[in-house]
Amino acid sequence: MGSVQAEFLKLKRSMSWAVVIVLPLMAVITGTTNTVVSGQQLDDGWKTLWLRVIVFYGLFPLAVGVAALASLIWRVEHRDGNWNALMGRRVSSLEIVLGKAAVLAALMAAMQLVLLAGTVLAGKLIFGLPGFIPSEYLLVSVIIVLACLPVATLQSALSMLMRSFAAPIAIALLGAVVSVGLLLAEINGLIAVVPYALLGRATQLGTGYFADSGSITTGTMLLLIVASAGLTALTVVATAAGLDRRDIR
Amino acid sequence: MYGFLGPNGSGKSTTMKMLLSLVRPTRGEIELMGRPLQRSTRRTLLADTGSLIEAPPGYGHLTGGENMRLVQRLLGLSDKQVNRAVHTVRLQDQLDKKVRNYSLGMKQRLGIAMALAREPRLLILDEPTNGLDPAGIEEIRGLLTQLASRGTTVMVSSHLLGEIDKTATMLGILSNGKLLFQGTRDQLLARSTPDVLIDSSNPRHAASLATQRHPTRLDGPTVRLSGLTQADTAAAVAMLVHEGIGVHGVRHDTQSLEDVFMDLTGGGGL
Repeated sequence: MGSVQAEFLKLKRSMSWAVVIVLPLMAVITGTTNTVVSGQQLDDGWKTLWLRVIVFYGLFPLAVGVAALASLIWRVEHRDGNWNALMGRRVSSLEIVLGKAAVLAALMAAMQLVLLAGTVLAGKLIFGLPGFIPSEYLLVSVIIVLACLPVATLQSALSMLMRSFAAPIAIALLGAVVSVGLLLAEINGLIAVVPYALLGRATQLGTGYFADSGSITTGTMLLLIVASAGLTALTVVATAAGLDRRDIR
Repeated sequence: MYGFLGPNGSGKSTTMKMLLSLVRPTRGEIELMGRPLQRSTRRTLLADTGSLIEAPPGYGHLTGGENMRLVQRLLGLSDKQVNRAVHTVRLQDQLDKKVRNYSLGMKQRLGIAMALAREPRLLILDEPTNGLDPAGIEEIRGLLTQLASRGTTVMVSSHLLGEIDKTATMLGILSNGKLLFQGTRDQLLARSTPDVLIDSSNPRHAASLATQRHPTRLDGPTVRLSGLTQADTAAAVAMLVHEGIGVHGVRHDTQSLEDVFMDLTGGGGL
């Protein structure tokens, strides 16, 4: 699809890559440094290291990072005559929105890969953990990327509507704060429909923190996958419909 | 080529945006290439349309070449189409430069190339010469004439009459959101009534006599009468002769298109 290819071309020399690399590495470095400085042991090996890296990262920085990426990929459209050019072509609103969503999905996947790679490197080089990170965390990573999509498409819609770079990021931060409340209160009905809470829930998968039991069950995974897919589809369709109705002033 | 003229803020950009369905009109309908333009049909109609509205488009962090490739991918264009567009605006030697470092003229040319690559039947350009130096303006003017001669309908807006009156075959003049005139250059000139200038043996006396019937001004030795029909002119000369004033010469003031434009738009924006 042309619009997806075009969106990927726009990533060249983009600031997005800095976010994709720096944000997850910060999470790995913070988790590692805390462990080293406090002199604690990784009692449960890879699992403990994973917890130290993911728990906080999944609650705030990830949502904010996704929001920053969405703001970055829309920022270029708000400049010069790009909005007029974008909407003055035969490319449909749905294709435009899907192109942005595809790019965001790729960036989310890259960000999670950096997190995984960083965690593996820290585990092997700094803590000398045996073997490789358990495969369940690879599976959790896939689910985290999927759960990023509803937040990414929602943030994409906000950044599309707002010229401001920071305002959508502030909304994501607010969403993350609210979602921590929902996770603490274990209001599962709302967690499944609030994108930020869904992402928070997915990152805690298998950690035993907040609403998580500590074990990764097929039921929970399925729920997360279905909810993510449903919310993403809904946001994309609604955004495209909104864009179609919108006047470009 | 359709020259769309009007002072700043008269509604040229808004009209062009309505033609591209970027903005919905509060009232009325738009037909493009014989088909009604609505939100539901706009994408098919826009396939035959190239546009550049307000500021030229282009992603600053990419090179000119990368921007062209992006349009190519987006619209599924051939290398040949892209190359031809780039050569038409003579940007082929600047493709490796980042658009951020382009001059305004280069950005305008890139924007036109981006609009042109799809080989549109209709090209809508909003003030494409805005901010350019005289050489750049001349270059764009030549380019548009060349495109129009190849069969593309070009609609180009400007707040400066001089920029398009020589190239446009049709002129539309807009002021305060109202179309004041639409037609050829000659029709526009014909619409105006130039002042009648009279040289006489006693200009002061002639002016005081004429002013009782028509708006009159004394320009040195010449009496200037405004808004006269042919019959009025004959009557005015007869009256002066009757009063014993020697009439040496009667002629029409040469009126430029600018004057007509100013008359129509109430002198705004020039």
